[in-house]
Formats: sequence, structure tokens, C-alpha cells
Amino acid sequence: MLKIVPEFLKAIRPEFRNHKKNFHQDAYYTFTNYRYLWVIGIFILAVTALSPLFMATLTYHQLIETSVDSDLNHRTKQLTDAAKSAVTFFMEERLNALTFTVNENGYDQLTDNARLTEILKNLKLGFGGVTDLSVLDADGNQVAYAGPFNLEGKNYKNQSWFEQSIKKMNFISEVFTGYRGVPHIIITVRSAKSDGSFFILRATLDTERLMKTLSSYKTGAYADIFLVNREGILQTPSMHYGAIFTPTNLIFPANSYETDVNTMTFNGISIISGHSLILRDMVTTPFTLMVLKEKAGMLQFWMDMRSKFNRIISASVIIIIIVITFASTFMVNKLYRADKAKAETMMQMEQTQQLASIGQLAAGVAHEINNPLAVINQTAGYMKDLFSFKDQTQNTDELIEYIDSILDAVDRCGTITRQLLGFVKQFDVKIKNVNLQKLISQVLSFHRKEAEYRQINVTVSIPDIFPELETDSSKLQQILVNLVNNAFQAVEEGNSLDIVARQVDTNTIELVIHDTGCGIPEENLKKIHEPFFSTKKDKSGTGLGLSITYSLIKKLGGRISVQSTEGVGTSFTIILPVKIKEGRIA
Amino acid sequence: MQHIDILIVDDEAKFADMLAKRIELRGCSKAVCYDGKSALDWVSAHADRISLILLDLQLPDLYGTMVLTNIKTINPAIPVIILTGHGTEKDRLDCERLGAYRFIHKPPNIDELMTILEHIKEKSAC
Repeated sequence: MLKIVPEFLKAIRPEFRNHKKNFHQDAYYTFTNYRYLWVIGIFILAVTALSPLFMATLTYHQLIETSVDSDLNHRTKQLTDAAKSAVTFFMEERLNALTFTVNENGYDQLTDNARLTEILKNLKLGFGGVTDLSVLDADGNQVAYAGPFNLEGKNYKNQSWFEQSIKKMNFISEVFTGYRGVPHIIITVRSAKSDGSFFILRATLDTERLMKTLSSYKTGAYADIFLVNREGILQTPSMHYGAIFTPTNLIFPANSYETDVNTMTFNGISIISGHSLILRDMVTTPFTLMVLKEKAGMLQFWMDMRSKFNRIISASVIIIIIVITFASTFMVNKLYRADKAKAETMMQMEQTQQLASIGQLAAGVAHEINNPLAVINQTAGYMKDLFSFKDQTQNTDELIEYIDSILDAVDRCGTITRQLLGFVKQFDVKIKNVNLQKLISQVLSFHRKEAEYRQINVTVSIPDIFPELETDSSKLQQILVNLVNNAFQAVEEGNSLDIVARQVDTNTIELVIHDTGCGIPEENLKKIHEPFFSTKKDKSGTGLGLSITYSLIKKLGGRISVQSTEGVGTSFTIILPVKIKEGRIA
Repeated sequence: MQHIDILIVDDEAKFADMLAKRIELRGCSKAVCYDGKSALDWVSAHADRISLILLDLQLPDLYGTMVLTNIKTINPAIPVIILTGHGTEKDRLDCERLGAYRFIHKPPNIDELMTILEHIKEKSAC
């Protein structure tokens, strides 16, 4: 197990992190910002892989939420309907019993207290919850009373329930405490007496029965069910929304005879509410039934399922990201290795090309030396002839003349070899002060003879006051050799090659190598600095000269640009720092 | 007019003179030109009285192949040996195409030159 962790980290950690800076080699890398490649790779893969997952998850959540919402609404409506039926039935049943009692017994029997007590006993047995019964005349005087309290003779004329009950055939009051301090409801039934006036039978119901009926519909700890009056005052106690007779802080929904279900927020909690007036054709009650459910509580099952789902999704996301990182590391590693191999090859090529340019120099030197050697050869040969063909031992003056001629030719050879040595020596030295004028004439000296017989007009223009460059002389030398060789290959007889140097500012110089040769076709201009691009069809070129020249200039902290018109000529413009930056050369 | 065995065309005066002297020592007649133009003038004047021409490629005024072409126009029968210090492979092929007799790198071996001359003379005598 312990072994897996470092192995895993190794697989996920891209190799470019271990890249050791090598100034010479780094110039040959195609890509410079591998970190960016790696990160962008991970990003693109992650977006591609994770967006559908996120979209699906989001859609799934929305779908679940919608269906759960509609399910909750439906269940709340069902519950509200059921409770509404129960409460309505509770009221109707008692009202019908009273109506029956009035019609069955008539005023005379009802005002008989004994009879009334019997009726109360029967009602208690049949329905329960009836506390007392009384008969009132049209003036609100209590004519008869049966029940535990001695309320006989009381006048209710000024009570609001009395005023309302004389207006209608029957009446159900709000819950109130009245004289007794116990919550109750009054139900009255109006009936005509034989003399044409009316009387009222009043029953008091304790609300305990009603509350029991209501609470039997409560489902779970998150549901609340209670009655409110038209003003929103609680008529039965609630669990979360206030005590009895206190106003609810709920934003009260519009009264409706139909069961209405909607979603609202109470104290920041999302609630599903079902409500309906308790109202039938025959019965009017002041009550609104409220069924309230805390959504979160009801959604608990879905929430649990969702968090389980989210955990699975999170785990998948982590696995996907790990796999993506693996993939990106793998791809960037492949790229990095290929690039590294290319850079290493190019480094070797650079050395090969250096040898090749020395080879070219050697050819130039051989040309230069061949002529004096031919003179030496013929002069020495003639001297030998003098001894072989005729005895010339006495003619010393003529011999000395020939010996001088030989010495003169040897001197010429010596000058050339010294030039070569001085030139080659610079390949070893790294950073030193370089006189550009001197370096250019050294490079050109190897082409002097060629320029002469091909009638190429070579001019060098460098201002008298020109800074000494502090740079890698061997690299600068190789750059010049490469570009001058190229120019000589491009020009025809009678063309010209101009080398112009100028100081741009204190830290920068510009060197332009311009020839009036064949020029470079536009389509090739972009490709000339690419490795192995060559137009020399006879395979005499490696296609590396310019690409290496470009890299060398980069290493010296400079840059190169080329302008060329086919058939008119080519200009290579090199910008170089006067002093190479510290640490540019490893 | 006198018959000339060898015409040397070379801008390296010391080399040309020394070679001329050695040829003379071996009993052959010679002439020397130091540039292409005078060489062509000389050949025009002595068109059928030259046995062999030694021609350098790098001349100050005309390139050797150009001189060779003109010589062949004047008299295609004159054998021309190209004698060069730094002729390239391309030069050699060009010269062979233009009808050069031999292509020799400097320095030349005098005895070899004399053998060639003798051979040419024998041939023309036949």
C-alpha cells in the first residue's frame, strides 16, 4: 500500500517538472510552456467529461424536485380534504341532531327542564362533546337549561352570537371562552313557536372532541393541522404557528371554498399549506382549516437520497479528474520527450554543423594555399631542373632569386595558416570582447579569392566609433560564417554583398547582411529557419545552417529577421545586445 | 610563323613563368598569357599553330570555362588541359562537357605534362 502512493504521484506528476534548465538546449524546444499545455489539457478534458455529468445531475435534481413537489402538493390536498370532511361532518352531525331535537320535541317539551336534561343525556350518549343545552326566547332570555352550570334566567340578548343566531336557521359560533373560561363552540337552531314567534335551542360543545378529530389527521412531526377564524385568529392550538386565540403570523391565504394548496415561507422555512373554508350549503362556520407541512421534513427521504446521489457523483468527479490528470500527464510527457529528443538532436546537429562550417573554411584555406604551393612546387622544380639539365652551380644570383620566390610563397601560406589558427582558436573561447570589424574581415578573408574571381563586390561598412561586443565569440563567428556562406551561394557573378553594422542604442547593435543574389521565394521565407529545410536539390545542404543560426542568435540574446525579394536580393538583419546578459550561457 | 608547343594561361605570374622556363628547358616552345582576353587574342592569331593549351580557371577577367568555350569556337582541335588550384566537381564536369582534354589540379607534374605533349604530337603527326 505504501508503495502505491509514490507510484501514483509519479504517474500523475508530469516529467517537465524535473526539467533542468540548459540554455543551449532550451533554445531548440518547440514548446516552451509545458505547464500551460498540461493545465489546458486537464481543463479541456475536464470540461468535456464533466459538463454532461453536471447537466445530467442538475436535470435529475430538478426533475426529482418537481415530482416531489407535485407529490407533496397532492398529498397535502388529500389530507386537507379528508380533514375538511371530518370537521364538516362533525359540525353537521351535531347541527342535524339539534334540528331533529327541536322538530321532534317542540317548544313546550323543550322548556321542560327534566325533558331537556333527558335530551342532553341522550345527545351526550349519541355524540359526546355536548356540555349543556338551553332554550332561549326571542328576547334572549334563557327559558330552560340543562347542564352542569346554573345559568338559568340569564339574558344573552346583547351577546354577538345571539344576534347572529336569530338571523339564521342555524348558527355555529367561533371558539370562545365565554363565562366559564373553557374554550367552547355554541351551536344554535332557530324554530317557530305555535304563536308565530320563534325560540332558539342552544347547545355548547367543548372543543376537545374537535381537537381530537383534527389531531387524528396529523401525519408526523412536520405536519400541523388547526382551525383559524376569518381574521386569522387560531381557533385550535397549533404546534408551530401560535397558541389558541392568538393571531397566526402566516400570510393568510385568500379564503376559498375549494381546497387550495400552495407553497410559502414562514420564518425562512419552506412550507406547503393546504387550506379550505369549512362551509356547506346548509351549514356556515367561521372556520378555515389549515394544514401546514414543513417541506424539508417531508422531503427528508428525498434529501437522504439526494445526498447519497451527490456522494456518488462527487466520487465519480474525483475519479474522472484523476484519470484526466493521468491522461494529460501522459500526453504532455509524450510531447515533452519527443521535444527533448529533438532538442538533443539539434544540439548534436549544432556541433556537426560547426564542424561542417570549419570544413567549409578548410576548403577556402586549401584554395588560398594551393596557389603559393604551386609556385613553390614549380620554383623548386625549376631549381632542380637547373642542376639536372645544365650545371648552374655558379649562377648563385639566379638561384637566390628563386629561393626568395619560394620564401615569399611560404610567407603567403604562413599568413593564411595564421589567419586560420586565429580563427579556429575563437571556437574554444566563450565570452570575450569581440571587435566586429575584425571578425567580419576574418570571415571574409576566406572568401577573398572567390569574391575576386567571381567578381562579387563585397563591401563592409562599420562606423569608426563602434562598441566592442562582449559576447560568445565562437557563436557570433559561426553565425557570420553561416550567413556569409549562404550569401556567397546565393549570388551570381557581378552581384554584390554588403555588410552594414550600426549601433541602435547603448545596448544594441544591428548588423545587416545584404546580397543582390537570387532571393528567396515568398513561400519558402517562412520555412527557412525550420530544421532540414533545404532548397539545394543536389543534397549538398543539410538544411540546418539557418535553423542553427537562428538558435545561436537566440542564445546570444538577439533576434534575426529576413527580407527577400525573389530575383532582387536578400537582407538578413540581426539585432544583438552589446553585452550578453549574465547567465545567458550555462 | 613559329609553331608553339604549349600556351600557358594563368594569372599567377610566378607560377606561369616558372612552368614556362621548365618547359623551355625540356626543349619545347611556349607562350604565356596572364588573363583570358589576351589568351583568346593569342589563340586567334595562332589558331592552327598550338599543340596544347594549359588553362587556369580563375582568371581576373574571364572565367576559365568561358575561355575554353571561345577557344573551342576558334579551333575545336586544340587540346586544352584545365590546370586549376581549386576546381570544384561542377567545374570538372562543365569542362569535360565543353571538350577539355584533361582536368589537372595544381601543382602539375612536369614529366606527366611532357608525356601528354609527346602523345599529342605523335597523334597529330600521324
